[in-house]
Amino acid sequence: MTLLAPQFLFAALAIAAAVIALHFLVTRQPRAGVLPTARFVPDRPATATARAARPSDLPLMLLRVLLVMATGLALARPVPTPARRAEARVILVDASRSVKNAAALRDGARSVVREGDVVVVFDSAARLVSGRVADSLRLLTPSARTGRLSAALVAAMRAATTISASADSLELVIVSPLAAEEMDAATASIRRMWPGRARLLRVGGGAPDSASASTPIELRSRADDPLRIAVAATRADHGSALIVRDSALAPAPAVTAGRALVYWPVDARPRGAIRRPRTDTTGAVVAGDAIVVAPFERRWRFPRDSVRGAHVVARWADGDPAVVEWANDSACTRSASIPVPTAGDLVVRADFIALVARLARACRGAVPMTPTSASAVAQLAGTGGRASHRAFPLHRDAHSTLAPWLFALAIILAIVELMVRTRRIDSASVMRARAPGVAA
Amino acid sequence: MPPDFAALLDALHGMRWPARSAVRGGMPGAHGSRMRGTSAEFTEYRPYAQGDDLGRIDWRLFARSDRAYIRLSNDRAILPTTIVLDASASMAFPTATLDKWRLASALAIGLAAVARSSADPVGLVIAREGQSIQLPPRSRRSLIHELIRAVEGIEPGGDEPLSHSLSAASRVSGRIVVITDFLGDADDVIGNAARAVVSGREVHAVHVVAAGELDPPRHAMLVSDPESPAIRRALTQDGRGSYDAAFAAWRDRLAHSLSDAGVAYTMAVTGEEATDHLVRRVTAPRSGVHSG
Repeated sequence: MTLLAPQFLFAALAIAAAVIALHFLVTRQPRAGVLPTARFVPDRPATATARAARPSDLPLMLLRVLLVMATGLALARPVPTPARRAEARVILVDASRSVKNAAALRDGARSVVREGDVVVVFDSAARLVSGRVADSLRLLTPSARTGRLSAALVAAMRAATTISASADSLELVIVSPLAAEEMDAATASIRRMWPGRARLLRVGGGAPDSASASTPIELRSRADDPLRIAVAATRADHGSALIVRDSALAPAPAVTAGRALVYWPVDARPRGAIRRPRTDTTGAVVAGDAIVVAPFERRWRFPRDSVRGAHVVARWADGDPAVVEWANDSACTRSASIPVPTAGDLVVRADFIALVARLARACRGAVPMTPTSASAVAQLAGTGGRASHRAFPLHRDAHSTLAPWLFALAIILAIVELMVRTRRIDSASVMRARAPGVAA
Repeated sequence: MPPDFAALLDALHGMRWPARSAVRGGMPGAHGSRMRGTSAEFTEYRPYAQGDDLGRIDWRLFARSDRAYIRLSNDRAILPTTIVLDASASMAFPTATLDKWRLASALAIGLAAVARSSADPVGLVIAREGQSIQLPPRSRRSLIHELIRAVEGIEPGGDEPLSHSLSAASRVSGRIVVITDFLGDADDVIGNAARAVVSGREVHAVHVVAAGELDPPRHAMLVSDPESPAIRRALTQDGRGSYDAAFAAWRDRLAHSLSDAGVAYTMAVTGEEATDHLVRRVTAPRSGVHSG
C-alpha cells in the first residue's frame, strides 16, 4: 500500500489521539451534595472537567476514531502496491514520418516488449498504448507528422511513475530511426531527467516500404486526354504521383502506398468540391512557383468545410483553392479542380508543365530522413545502469481506487455517529427530566 | 434518658444562670427584681406616705422614734425562660450524622437544665414545618425529661420561619434563647429579637455552625440548599476562597447585627467544643457580643 498524500493520515492520527484524549477528559456535573450554606458559593456554571480513568462512551469514541481515520486515509489516497519484479521497461515507439520501414519498426518494438511494460507511441505527440499492446504494435502505421522525441521522453517519465511501484528498476527503450528532425533543443535536458542509460533500438530508417521519388509520374486516363502531353513532358525527378483522371481507373490502396494520389477528373466532380452556382473564368492559377495564366473555366469550388485540415497546393488568382491535399498514414491524396482544355496549346506550355510537375510532387510528409549525429545518439543513450524505481515516485494526481470507498465509509460512520450522539442527548434529557432534584 | 444527655446534665449539675439584669417582679425566685418587696432581706427605710400599706410600717421603730417608716427589702423573682429551637432542614446537616441538630438539641437541653436549676420555669418551642412543638414555661420536676422526649421526637426538615416562634416565646418569657443556624429568616429573627430586648427581655442567640460548613469537602461538588432547592451551585477549588470569604463576612455581619440589637450572641461549632463548655459560655455573665 502506497499513500499518495501521507500527511493526511498523520493528521488523522493526531486528531484521533485528540478525540481519545477528549473522551478521557469528561465534562460533567460533579457529585451532588447538600450544603446549607450553598448560597455563599459563587454562582458559576455547575459543570467541571475531570480526567476519567476510563474513556466515556466507548462505542461513540470508537465511532469517532474510525470516522477520523477513514477520512484521513481517504484523503491520503492509498494505492495498492502490486507484486514487485526485478525490472520493467518504458518503450518509446516512433510512429512519425521519419519511419521509412514500418515493418522493421514493428518487429523491433515487438522484440523488446514484455508483460507489464509500458509502450508509448509518438510522432508529434505521445500517447500511452493501453490494452492489448501486441495488437496495437502489429497495426502500427507511421504518420506524416514530425516526430518529437522531447514529448515522448516526458510521456515516458510520466508513464514510469505508473509502474515504478511494480518493479525495482526501470529501463528506457527507444525504438526509432532517430532522425535528426526528431531532436530539438530541449531533448538533451529532458533526457537527463531520466536517470541511467537508455537502450536505443535504431530501426525503421531504412528503405521505404513502397515506391518513392524515383518512380515517374503515372497518369491513368483515356488515350485522348490532353494531359498526357503535359505529363509526358515532365521529367522523371519531378515526382512519383499517380494522377487519376477517371474514377473508374482508380488504383488499389497498395499501389498508392507511399505515393501522392492526384484525383484530377476530366469532367466529373473533384473530391471534396461542389459545383459553383455559376461557371466563371479566372485568369490564372498559382502553385508554388508555378503560375499559369489562361482563361480557365471554373465549374467547381472547394467549400470551407472540405478544406479544413487539408493543405492547399494551388490557388486561383482570386485566392480560392484550386488543388487541395489530404495527408493519410502512408501518403497523401490531392484533389484538383483545374480544367484541362482540349483545344489550344496550354498543355504544351512550359508553365502548365511546371504546374503538373508541382501537383505531382511527393507528399509534404515524404521528406528524406537525416540520421541523428553520433554524439546526439550517445547523449540520448546516456550512461550508468537502469533507473531505480525510487526515481519515479507515484505522482500526486495518480488515481486511488480505494479513496472513494473510504469516503463512503466515512460518510456512513458520520451518519451513525450523529444518530448515536442524538440518542445519547435524548437519553440524557429524559434522565434529567426524571431526576427528583438533588439527592442529599 | 439517653446517655449523652445524662452525661451533659451531670456536667451541668448545680450550675446557675443569673439574669443579666434585674428582672421584672413576679413569683419569688432567684433573680434580683426591679421591684421593692417585703422579703426578709432588709434594704432600707422610707418615710410613710399616704396610701402605703399600714402593715408595712415598722412599728418597733415607730415606738422608739415616734416616726412612721416603711421597711423596704429587695425583691427576688423568677425569670421564665423559653428555648426556641430551629428544626428546619438546614439543621439536618451533615445528613449522615446530623451533627448540627444534635448539638442544637444538646444545647437546648443543657440550657434548660441550667435555667431549671435556677428555679426558673422553662419552656421550649421547636420550629419545624408541620411538626412545631410549643411547651410553655413550667417548673415541674419532670420538665427536663419532657423536653428531652420532645427533642428526640423531632426530625429536622422544612423551612419553618423562626421569627413567629420567637414572637410567641417573647410573650410568655423574660429570657429567650434562640438556637439556630440563621439560614432561614435571619432578618426577621433579628428584628423580633431586637423588639424583645427593647421590651425588657433577655435574648440569647446561639448560632450553630457545622464544621462541614466552615470547611466543606475539598473535592468538587454540586451543592444545593436543602431549604431552597433552586440554589444549586458548583463548589470547586477555585470557588472555595470566595465561599469562605462570603460565609465569614455573613457571620460577622450577623454577629454585629445581633450585638447591636442587644442580643447575646454565641457561635457554636460542631465538634469543636464540649457541649457543657458551650452552655457555660452562653450562661456566663456578660454584657456584649461573645462569639465562639
